[in-house]
Amino acid sequence: MSIAILKAPSVSVASVDVARTLRMGLLLGGVGVYLAAVGILAMFNERWIIVGLLTLGYGVLGLVYLVAGMISARRGAGLMTALASGILSGAIAGLTVSVLGLVIGPFSLQSVFTQLNGKLADSLALGLAPLSGLLVMLGIGAVCGAIGAILRFTPLTVRRPLVIAALVTVTAGLFQELIQIMLQDGPLTPVQDLIYEWEGLTAQGAAIVFVVAFILALIGVQISRRRARAAAAKANADSGQSLTKMGMIFLVLVLLPLMGGNYIGQVLLLVGLYILMGMGLNLEVGLAGLLDLGFVGFFAVGAYVTALLTANHPMAILHLNFWVAMPIAVLASVVVGVLFGIPVLGVRGDYLAVATMGLGEIVRVLVVSDAAKPLLGGPLGITQVPKPAIFGYGLTTPIQLYYLTLVASLVAGLIAWRLEGSRLGRAWMALRDDEDVAAALGIDRIECKLLAYGLGAAFAGLAGSIFAVMLASVYPSSFQLVVSINVLALIIVGGMGSLPGVAIGSLVLIGLPELLREFGEYRYLFYGVALIFMMQFRPEGLMPSKVRKRELHAAMGETSEPAVPTARAA
Amino acid sequence: MAVQIPEDRLKIARLSRISIVDVLLWALRIGVLGVVIAGTIGTLINGRYGWTQWVDFVVFGLTLGSIYAQIALGYTMVYGVLRLINFAHGDFMMSGAFSAFFVANAFYRSGFLESHPVPALLCILITSMIVSTAVALLAERFAYRPFRRVVGLAPLICAIGVSFFLQQTFRGMFGSSIRAYPDPSWQRATISFLGIEVQAVELLVIGLAVLFMIGLYLIVQYTKMGKAMRAVAEDGDAAALMGIDVDKVVVFTFMLGGAMAGIAGVFYCFVYKQVYFYMGFTPGIKAFGAAVLGGIGSIPGAVLGGFFLGLVESVGPALFLDGLGIPGPYQLRDVIAFTLLIMVLIFRPNGILGERLGKKRA
Amino acid sequence: MRPKKLRSWGYSTAAGIVAGVFCMTLAQPFAHAASPVEDPMGVIRIPKGAPVQIGAYWVISGPDTALGEDSVRGAKIAIADLGDKVLGHPVKLNVEDDQCTPEGGQTAATKLAANPNTVIVLGPACSSAATAGAPILWNAGISSIGTASTAPSLTAADRKPELAGFLRTIYSDAQSGANDGKWLYKEAGAKTIVTINDGSPYSSELARVTGESFIKEGGKVLSAEAIQPTDVDLKPLLTHIATLKPDKIYAPLFVAATAQLLRQVKETPGLENVEVIGEGAQAAGALIEATGQAIVGFKLAYPDVSPDAMGKGYPGFLEKYKKMFGEAPISGYHANAYDAAVLAVKAIEQVAKQGDDGALYIGKKALHDALFTISFEGMGGTVKCNQYGQCAQLKSAIYQYVSADPATFSIGTNPKKIWP
Repeated sequence: MSIAILKAPSVSVASVDVARTLRMGLLLGGVGVYLAAVGILAMFNERWIIVGLLTLGYGVLGLVYLVAGMISARRGAGLMTALASGILSGAIAGLTVSVLGLVIGPFSLQSVFTQLNGKLADSLALGLAPLSGLLVMLGIGAVCGAIGAILRFTPLTVRRPLVIAALVTVTAGLFQELIQIMLQDGPLTPVQDLIYEWEGLTAQGAAIVFVVAFILALIGVQISRRRARAAAAKANADSGQSLTKMGMIFLVLVLLPLMGGNYIGQVLLLVGLYILMGMGLNLEVGLAGLLDLGFVGFFAVGAYVTALLTANHPMAILHLNFWVAMPIAVLASVVVGVLFGIPVLGVRGDYLAVATMGLGEIVRVLVVSDAAKPLLGGPLGITQVPKPAIFGYGLTTPIQLYYLTLVASLVAGLIAWRLEGSRLGRAWMALRDDEDVAAALGIDRIECKLLAYGLGAAFAGLAGSIFAVMLASVYPSSFQLVVSINVLALIIVGGMGSLPGVAIGSLVLIGLPELLREFGEYRYLFYGVALIFMMQFRPEGLMPSKVRKRELHAAMGETSEPAVPTARAA
Repeated sequence: MAVQIPEDRLKIARLSRISIVDVLLWALRIGVLGVVIAGTIGTLINGRYGWTQWVDFVVFGLTLGSIYAQIALGYTMVYGVLRLINFAHGDFMMSGAFSAFFVANAFYRSGFLESHPVPALLCILITSMIVSTAVALLAERFAYRPFRRVVGLAPLICAIGVSFFLQQTFRGMFGSSIRAYPDPSWQRATISFLGIEVQAVELLVIGLAVLFMIGLYLIVQYTKMGKAMRAVAEDGDAAALMGIDVDKVVVFTFMLGGAMAGIAGVFYCFVYKQVYFYMGFTPGIKAFGAAVLGGIGSIPGAVLGGFFLGLVESVGPALFLDGLGIPGPYQLRDVIAFTLLIMVLIFRPNGILGERLGKKRA
Repeated sequence: MRPKKLRSWGYSTAAGIVAGVFCMTLAQPFAHAASPVEDPMGVIRIPKGAPVQIGAYWVISGPDTALGEDSVRGAKIAIADLGDKVLGHPVKLNVEDDQCTPEGGQTAATKLAANPNTVIVLGPACSSAATAGAPILWNAGISSIGTASTAPSLTAADRKPELAGFLRTIYSDAQSGANDGKWLYKEAGAKTIVTINDGSPYSSELARVTGESFIKEGGKVLSAEAIQPTDVDLKPLLTHIATLKPDKIYAPLFVAATAQLLRQVKETPGLENVEVIGEGAQAAGALIEATGQAIVGFKLAYPDVSPDAMGKGYPGFLEKYKKMFGEAPISGYHANAYDAAVLAVKAIEQVAKQGDDGALYIGKKALHDALFTISFEGMGGTVKCNQYGQCAQLKSAIYQYVSADPATFSIGTNPKKIWP
């Protein structure tokens, strides 16, 4: 309480909720300590956002303090009170983090926590003597907390552009290597010279980027508000919007690799393969309600069959053209899918998850095993898979293969979309919602389920086939359980049962982590956190199908909110 | 529903459709059975293993099984109450094992572990249980609680996220190297009877596991909280109407599951003497399989499933594949385990001891 | 976050990306100032004061992290030894993650190749990543130097032209396996062995080649067993092996499985006195930490780095490793990565020319050719490349661990050289 008086004497002290502010400060300070202990801070400190001024590590710490200020400032209480609590909690968070820096040395924490070394202690003291470092850190925390509190009071039309501008600046700093490569040696080189130096953004560059982004975002927010208002007036705005939405996604998907070069092409190629698999799994899980954790098995079949039929390798049985081999690979996947489905026909719900996971694991182990080595090459895989060609025009670069994948995804998407609305699709949905009732209604469960497995597998087989030519080889190490998990995660994050959702989920869960490749292991940490947060805030997925959304809200509405009548009707 | 289909036509339709599938299913059953029998006969004729070796295999299997069972208990209880596949459960075990390692290492350095095995062991067990329980409760509070009423797969994906988060957190904090769990002389003791030499630690682990499982069973069966737990598992809404605090029951379930995972972590340390961040993943997956095998939601089922899986993994390669002359049979232990798991599910789609699953999950 | 809001955010971001990237493609390459070097595969220009960018791809995530991390550290020490500078330019090491999978290697290589400033690439550690990644780099005119990718096919005499840009400072499994088989039969006096591999290309190739070489010498391989790298319970397998009564067990595995194997061998009746023989990946301080007491007596084959043979700098190098990273080497490939980095830098120094504008010019083909002419005494033995890119001249030795204290790890003393 004394701090509050010291910092903001004009505020009536009683109105600051000290206990809550302290708690928030400590909580966010704890987040800072966690970042330090896990090693993220040290890793981020090696990267500049603004060269010579701000590293990514300090940027993240600042953000933590800012959030501390933001969540402890309450709008109802008035600006000065909010400011005081923002400052207090930011300072507490700063204090917590610097105390960690102080205890590292004396308690020799490194013997247990490998990341807590002297270098980190120095950086937590900002390179100063311990005590002055602590005071400066406290000050930084307070300032950031204050900014957070003020942000809370800024109107949305200004706050959002501010946040966007900050994000753009950080992105420009974070992906400086990629961006600089694109700018280099072209008419935009002057821009590069203006805002970048070798290690990252210059101070002046950061300022320019921030201001430009802020102005653009300001304009953008105004326009989108106006449009939203106009759209709200129209009754059928939703369908129009979803069309533009699809068009937008499609445009980005077509143009991006042309502009971004081979690396972006490669990343998008992987995204495309996962979109294909996602659409396949969507038929099984999203429509038919068959939870499948062994999906990687079909992917492996597609890849191995393609390799066996086309490779210029002693293990290959034929040397076919890719265009002949691909349909065979897809067919093989369908057969395996149906065979895969038969033993687990009677198994339901989560039992099915285990059974399918078991089948996937069986495929994975068999592929690498010595027992199957004479047939599949064992750990050494099958190499020398030739790239496909169209009329003598070879599809060799990632971008060309990406367009192949895009075409395949479009066709597959069309099929999936038609299936959804078809008799079979409706039968699947009935099966998903209640198997017994569906059977009573005369739906052939066995046929339906096997078709779901078979068709789902076809998509994965196609993806596997392209995967084999993408790598020009197949190795068992590519077919781990984590592939199945990723595919499942992406359709749920995207929004189950929704085709645009699959694309979005794949871009978010496969594309974004690829761009963070240099962070190695920490990528999975970010991935895990992202999964948790996305599911908490949007359990229905980023772009759910309308039916799904209604169902979910109906289920939640039963207890927590008054039920929506339309949802009941669904 | 109103449409009446003549009985005989229905029968014909069913016959013509199902028979192909049925034939394939029977072919699969007979095929697996054939491989099993041929392999077993081959191995036995081969006569490579004496009965001491078979006893060894069984003991190894029971040891591994008791670890699986211990983890599977947590899976099954959480599933029973929340209908949530807690993918991160193996990582709860990992966190317990890490804490056990740090305590044991400190004791080992000071010589306490060597001189006072029993109090040291108790200390290690309690620490591991507390840490695992704490991690489980944190995960419940911050990751799972918001999903209490969400249907669909979002909770499962969230659990996968928690699993990644825990693994990477431990890797980041404690490094990616593999640590050896200390190995005092009393842990290396062997017991021999009738010419069979068995590691004392293995018997200790099996014995303790059975003890803890009985304890758990008694808690769930006879305490007030345990009864509440079973009530919630039976029907959450009805239990809530009866005045049971469902939140409290869920927390209690995670506590019990976390404690069991902590014990499993210590067992793992005793037997396999290795600690690293990825250690929870594979046993977690296997335990999930074991829980399902036994009938998910059933406590005796999880125990049975765990021991079954452990035994199959240990005895399977030698018994079924050795005689067939397949190269590298031990690499295929997971193939055997999962094949048998699927076979069990063909015959009993709801697991060995599972009751018929309600109409819907959740 | 409400969907509406999210959507408009999505719009602005997507529009921004499209607009930005579109502007960039309009860019046509400008003509350079006159370059002092001509090169058929292109010239890299490094402006005055700009860093020399050396790419690298290793496995730095997942269960094989130690393998790649060890290489990263070796290369970092090499660059630190150069004072972080080449010809007055700072050195920047861009490390990407290849996940030890072919698709990871391909993506990482594509990313490195997309950077026009990448002069040369170090890595990878895994052969599958190299098979997929090296051709992409070479397609962009970039040479790469493998540090732990040991598959024979990568530097075989009949290798495909797409691999022509690949060199390695590690010996091939064909070489070391042949040596190991010979040693087992002739020096160790084994007449029968059992091999164990873990299903990785490295391990299964070594087990196969060693077995063949051992049979050629006159010995008998009783059984070629395989496990999974995540297996912890090896006792059923060992009980089985005990019934075969082999003289030795040859197990070229990685740290986790090796630790289990060594401990459980001693607990298996019938195998208490059977020696386990390992390979290069097991020359790691982390193995001592993971195994504990059971490591004492474990023998492995590794290049001869004792001061009287070669590699005089190794003890000092080890000191630096421990100082910089706070622990003993975590895998067996730090020395090879060090040599790869030194080789790369030596080649750059040899071909780089200063232009009139103060910039540095490096011809890609010239750099590639220069790599094949350089020879020096490295940390892992003599480095001198043959025409197929095999740069490590294997002079194998056998070492034996003598202490279970991780702090004592130092190739030469613990494990101690026992042969020749």
